[in-house]
Amino acid sequence: MNHPSEHELILHHYGEAPDRTEVARHLEVCESCRSNYQALQRVWSAVDAVPVPERSESYGAEVWGRLRPRLPQPCQSNTVPSLIQDLAARVMTFRLPRWAVACGLALAVGAAFLGGRFWPQLDSGTRFGMTRSSAHISTQARERILLKEIGDHLERSQLALIELINSQTNGLVDISLEQALARQLVDVNRLYRQTASRLGDTGMASVLEDLERTLIEISNSPAKLSAGEFADFRRRIDTDDMLFKVKVVSSQVRAKEREAARELAGKRS
Amino acid sequence: MEDSDAALVKRARGGDHDAFRVLVERHSQVLFRLAYRMTGNEHDAEDMVQETFLKAHRQLGRFESRSSFSTWLHRIAANCSLDLLRKRQRRAEEDRPVDVESADALPAMLSPSPAPDQQLFHVEVRQKVECAMEQLTPMERTAFVLRHYEGQSIEEIGSVLGAGASATKQSIFRAVQKMRRALEPVLDATS
Repeated sequence: MNHPSEHELILHHYGEAPDRTEVARHLEVCESCRSNYQALQRVWSAVDAVPVPERSESYGAEVWGRLRPRLPQPCQSNTVPSLIQDLAARVMTFRLPRWAVACGLALAVGAAFLGGRFWPQLDSGTRFGMTRSSAHISTQARERILLKEIGDHLERSQLALIELINSQTNGLVDISLEQALARQLVDVNRLYRQTASRLGDTGMASVLEDLERTLIEISNSPAKLSAGEFADFRRRIDTDDMLFKVKVVSSQVRAKEREAARELAGKRS
Repeated sequence: MEDSDAALVKRARGGDHDAFRVLVERHSQVLFRLAYRMTGNEHDAEDMVQETFLKAHRQLGRFESRSSFSTWLHRIAANCSLDLLRKRQRRAEEDRPVDVESADALPAMLSPSPAPDQQLFHVEVRQKVECAMEQLTPMERTAFVLRHYEGQSIEEIGSVLGAGASATKQSIFRAVQKMRRALEPVLDATS
């Protein structure tokens, strides 16, 4: 055969040459072509020697942790995502820690005060990101929707914290699921906190600020913690009484929501 | 026993996120390697892996079970990466109007310099390979990565590129030639 071109040698290397045997036979007898082919092989070897950065064994779980909040929820409910339902199923076995019981009464009083100050002020069409386009919805209906939204948000936050606190601590603790949820919650929480500040409800804003700090800490921590790291992490959450604050405020919001629903039903009837 | 990809896809189609999680955990590492080869950048590669799974999830209904899920994912990842390379190229053209199709720019940039020892030599070769890969057009880089690292057929590569067999082969030729022109001076210096 004639001397194979560079193209033919490349095809030969990749097993795409029409007649591999003929090229191989030629390379055996033709020193010039063999040298040319060896030069190409050195290039391919150099290319092969470039490493790809290693990912850790938990990389797949990390990808999932980031991906999960971006996937559409498969559940039928419009209000409670399946992730929450997953968490809720596991929360059934949860017991409040002793610190929560000890602090309960004082916080309940504080939360009642916060709830009372915050919710009666929800009467503006532009609050919580709502615009004048929703002006056709009555003030009561709007208030009830908002109460439901923030009630859901607090419930989700509560479940995320409960799930985190009750994580198994055999060896490494994987908190990627809770992180995914915490990332979802941070932005919404920020909106509610800013609104509370704007309305001058510093008490509610303070609770939401604490919650936001905790959610950000969860979001930014490693997806897998050693038992010691996790114990420290859990201690910080316990020290802030975060879970109980959220639980109490959430109860207050739900009570307000039920009250708003009753008022709305009364007006309609 | 581990569930097969096909069984997991079937469950994921029905809205089972746990099944999709297993698929994500199973295929992330290999997709990262492909995306890194394509983009040459860890951060971009991680983004491409995310993007690939998002698209795959959206398009699960279109996946034909007679083909391999892994092959299907690789194809999505290659397409995502190709899109990124094209965007990069457009940005580069806007910022600095250089003819990246021309290999003439390479010799000056990649002129060999003697390395004091073997380790430095490897570092230099690696840098030159990475630099040369950066100089390939999106089509050339995609064709080269899919053929050289992934071992895909000309037909498979052509379907990703939206090109025929001849154009696909040309892309591979040009990629190898450019790599050769970039690397040969430094490789010859040690032989």
